[in-house]
Amino acid sequence: MQKDLETKFLSDFEQNQNIAHKICRVYTTNQDEHKDLFQEITIQLWKNYSKFRGDSKFSTWMYRVALNTAISLYRKSTRTIKTQDISDVAFKIKSSDYDDTEEKQLSALYGAIHQLNDIEKALIFLYLEDKPYKEISETLGITSVNARVKMNRAKEKLKNILNP
Amino acid sequence: MDLLENYKKTWKNQPEEVNKLSSVDIYKMAHSKSSSIVKWIFIVGVLELAFWAGINLLIPDSFYKIYEDLNLEKQVSFFMILHYLVIIVFLYFFYVNYKKISIVENTKNLIQRILNIRNTVKYYVYYNLAIVFLSSFIINIVLISDSDTLMKVMNPENLPINVNQLIAITIFSQLIAIIIFIVLLWLFYKLIYGILLKKLNRNYKELARLNNGS
Repeated sequence: MQKDLETKFLSDFEQNQNIAHKICRVYTTNQDEHKDLFQEITIQLWKNYSKFRGDSKFSTWMYRVALNTAISLYRKSTRTIKTQDISDVAFKIKSSDYDDTEEKQLSALYGAIHQLNDIEKALIFLYLEDKPYKEISETLGITSVNARVKMNRAKEKLKNILNP
Repeated sequence: MDLLENYKKTWKNQPEEVNKLSSVDIYKMAHSKSSSIVKWIFIVGVLELAFWAGINLLIPDSFYKIYEDLNLEKQVSFFMILHYLVIIVFLYFFYVNYKKISIVENTKNLIQRILNIRNTVKYYVYYNLAIVFLSSFIINIVLISDSDTLMKVMNPENLPINVNQLIAITIFSQLIAIIIFIVLLWLFYKLIYGILLKKLNRNYKELARLNNGS
């Protein structure tokens, strides 16, 4: 029974791991932190997997657990050395067929996102992932109207950083 | 096209992580130890509960002899029993609040529940400080009302001090000790919880502010 659950979890998670990687890129700025947060997300997903009923998609459930971990549970470990921080993420995502302008643009986008606060990061991340307002408000625990208002402000802030 | 819509396209085209994890890596990670804030708050909370509950055990028996000499045994045992009952009640709430935490809840409720565990511990500390005040207050009243015994115990060598002076010295020295104790404790808690809760408080305020419509 436990074994079946574990096998299913591993395959679900392996297929969707990119969600967690993207959240780690949004909330951390170097590889050590990325790894730490990814590990904590994995632990939380597994710890709660037995309660995942499957009435929503695994990915939807994963967005919520992973974001909650990043916003509420994750502590930056003290062993992380500040000077290692690198604002662009190009070191993590190299691909030969990936064009240079897009790479620069992506770096700029991540750089700008890193300047937002934790809640704004979540809003912008969910916007970029094309999540509906209903899901956004349910994930964060705010009303749809407030999610909209805050989203517009976060987008404005992001635009100003990207294009001052 | 809107600036952000353009960036959204870039976002969608971002390549997948190069260091993708295999099931084996995921399995290992899933079974490793969590270092979440909740875990730390839980550990610190348990240590605090244990500290206050255990403080009586640290006091040597000889210390209690003074209560016998001062005829305070009844009052002392009353406070002890009350104290242990209260500890049980707090432990219960601490555990219940801890159990209620669920990562699957929405972010606002999750943070609120984490802060609730912290609040249980905070009230427990307040209770302990209050009991220190209250019990010393009552004990002092009893002491002062029976100044002959006090004189005998505190001044066994019969130095030439009058009762009023002795009472003043007794109360004053206790007051100083309590103030130093509370200041140290306060600094200690500010430090520990300041570090642990900074991020949670900030994010909770942000979400609460949103729901208040400002």
